[in-house]
Amino acid sequence: MNELLQQVRILDPVSGTDKTADVLIIDGYIKAVENQIYEFPSDIQMRNCHDLILGPGLVDLYSHSGEPGFEERETLESLQKAAISGGFTRLAILPNTSPPIDNPAAVAKLQKNSPRLIPWGAITQGVQGQQMTEMAELADAGVVGFADGKPIVNLALLRRVLEYLQPLGKPIALWASYPELVGNGVMREGADSIRFGLSGNPAIGETSALAALLEVVAAVGTPVHIMRVSTARSVQLIEDARSRGLPITASTTWMHLLLDTEAIASYHPSLRLEPPLGTPNDRLALRRGIKQGIIDAIAIDHTPYTYEEKTVAFSEAPPGAIGLELALPLLWQNLVATGEFSPLELWRLLSTRPAECLQQTPPTINPGSPAELTLFSPQETWQVNINNLCSLSANTPWLGKELTGRIVQTWC
Amino acid sequence: MGSIWTREHIISLADFLPAEYDIVLQTAASFQEVLSRRVKKVPTLQGQVVANLFFEPSTRTRNSFELAAKRLSADTLSFAPASSSLTKGETILDTAKTYLAMGTNIMVIRHREAGVPQAIAQEMDRLQSQVSVLNAGDGQHEHPSQALLDLFTICSVLEPKQPKIELLQNKKVTIVGDILHSRVARSNIWSLTAAGAEVHLAGPPTLLPKLFADWVSENQANSAIPERKLFLHWDVEPALKDADFVMTLRLQRERMTQHLLPSLREYHQRYGITRARLKLCKSGVKVLHPGPVNRGVEISSDLMDDPEFSLISQQVTSGVAIRMALLYLIGGAKS
Repeated sequence: MNELLQQVRILDPVSGTDKTADVLIIDGYIKAVENQIYEFPSDIQMRNCHDLILGPGLVDLYSHSGEPGFEERETLESLQKAAISGGFTRLAILPNTSPPIDNPAAVAKLQKNSPRLIPWGAITQGVQGQQMTEMAELADAGVVGFADGKPIVNLALLRRVLEYLQPLGKPIALWASYPELVGNGVMREGADSIRFGLSGNPAIGETSALAALLEVVAAVGTPVHIMRVSTARSVQLIEDARSRGLPITASTTWMHLLLDTEAIASYHPSLRLEPPLGTPNDRLALRRGIKQGIIDAIAIDHTPYTYEEKTVAFSEAPPGAIGLELALPLLWQNLVATGEFSPLELWRLLSTRPAECLQQTPPTINPGSPAELTLFSPQETWQVNINNLCSLSANTPWLGKELTGRIVQTWC
Repeated sequence: MGSIWTREHIISLADFLPAEYDIVLQTAASFQEVLSRRVKKVPTLQGQVVANLFFEPSTRTRNSFELAAKRLSADTLSFAPASSSLTKGETILDTAKTYLAMGTNIMVIRHREAGVPQAIAQEMDRLQSQVSVLNAGDGQHEHPSQALLDLFTICSVLEPKQPKIELLQNKKVTIVGDILHSRVARSNIWSLTAAGAEVHLAGPPTLLPKLFADWVSENQANSAIPERKLFLHWDVEPALKDADFVMTLRLQRERMTQHLLPSLREYHQRYGITRARLKLCKSGVKVLHPGPVNRGVEISSDLMDDPEFSLISQQVTSGVAIRMALLYLIGGAKS
């Protein structure tokens, strides 16, 4: 379909553009971007885009599919719809499905059904953290990179993985977490965990693993993406490592930027995350981290669970929450509408930088580029309910709440 | 009596006000009097249904609530997890809604995890059901009825006829043991500090992390209650010095496998309540324990049976009167 978007506010972090103009889209490509476009084919569909924002498609570093294995939580089809409905044009999915994506056949099957979803290949067989997968074959099969989505505790294995990976030229995403220290902790240890009577997961459960990981990276030299950064001390460790020139990038999740342990007063099972929500101090440090570029990107870590799975006591709830359809409106309201971040800063964290962390060319709004775009209305309000979500699961603390900001259209 | 009571659910004592404590104590005292009569029953909750939803097994607390409800002439229902549908895919909210559909007025809820009574109370409010929820112990969070019966027991020792919280002003109450995992300690910290008592916590650092001090100081400012007096001790002797009341807590054996303690023996040596240690306290000191007691671990076996010191059986008796008061206040008083 050929379209003319008239007087749309264009945000393009790649070129640093924030201006209002007309955008002509022909046959899936951006044909022209000009202050006013007067020449266009007769079959064009015109749209008045007053008050709307057009940015490059959003890119999610890591989220979970239910399929294969847990289709009642999310199918590949519903996941893809949720991504598009949330403005995401590229979605990297974690391999801890059932069976896991740890062999080329699993990659091929997934890509055949859902070309928009790109899998991370498992680092270890069965994502068990024991034995390396055939990473070279997986790389040839088209994985975006390597991740288990679970901590790899064995540092000897981790070291060999990072060495073996070097000639393959693919990104690797690691989650720094030390399970013995985490224990049965279900929320960040602190005054709030004491008050709420919930077992504490101490910050050192993350930072001690991160410090060890950074030492391995420094010794081996393989670039590493650190996923799910959740503590203030981790931000310091990463800042220090980057200042020493370590080849690392890092991400935190959208929930960790918006909420902290105080929210758990509600005991809402969808606030049970791994890593857990940080203290208010952690949350502020993470915001500083993304503002200053110490943390490169915001990930969604969309983790669907059914109503039955999540309607249990907080401690018994499986960790994770959905987010693809909620992240942009809520981040915009809390970070941009408040003036803390510029629109371009937020868009860079959700589109350009995640693509770069995946070693991909980021989407951009340039004549000649494919139309990989998100049209966003920051003022439109809508209610989060099961009928309004494409995701099959509704495990989010915002269920039933009214949000301001909605994705109008996604081109991908 | 109960004329200014507005609270619909009793989930936590964190925001209880001094006036509310006094209403509970006065109400309990009048029910205590009922319990001393020949006919120990009043028609207060006649026609009302009290459901004991004990997702975590408990005999003592469940029986105490059941007896309290029966003394108030309520009809009682019991939920036993062994025969429940929870293993068949039913959620906790489904269970609560089933009891709502049976016409339950008050749900008394115990669960091994924190937050479940609150979740059910929220669901009942969302459904505009008028059902009141009473937390009978949730995980390591709170156990309000236990703390209130402790408060009632202590106040009754100080002034049997007219228990009121001002009696506790500047009294020293020492809580010894596994504070970290104790819902009883958490509720007691709220109630005793609100009453103006000096509360001293004692235990090894693994079971009494410094975070307890932060927790109370962070909740200082937004409260209508005068400054809460809370002190932490990793040695038991200074905590016991001149104490008026000593509360010991049950120590679970599994703490040894969690790297929290080397042995029960060393625990008893360092923190066990013995006759010798009680000499540090004020004369006339009384000892409380929420039960069940590990004899010879948290308290010397013979002390437990010594009426000169032990308030343990008074606590159990007070429990029925307090629970009658709570059921009356959230059930009967508002209708």
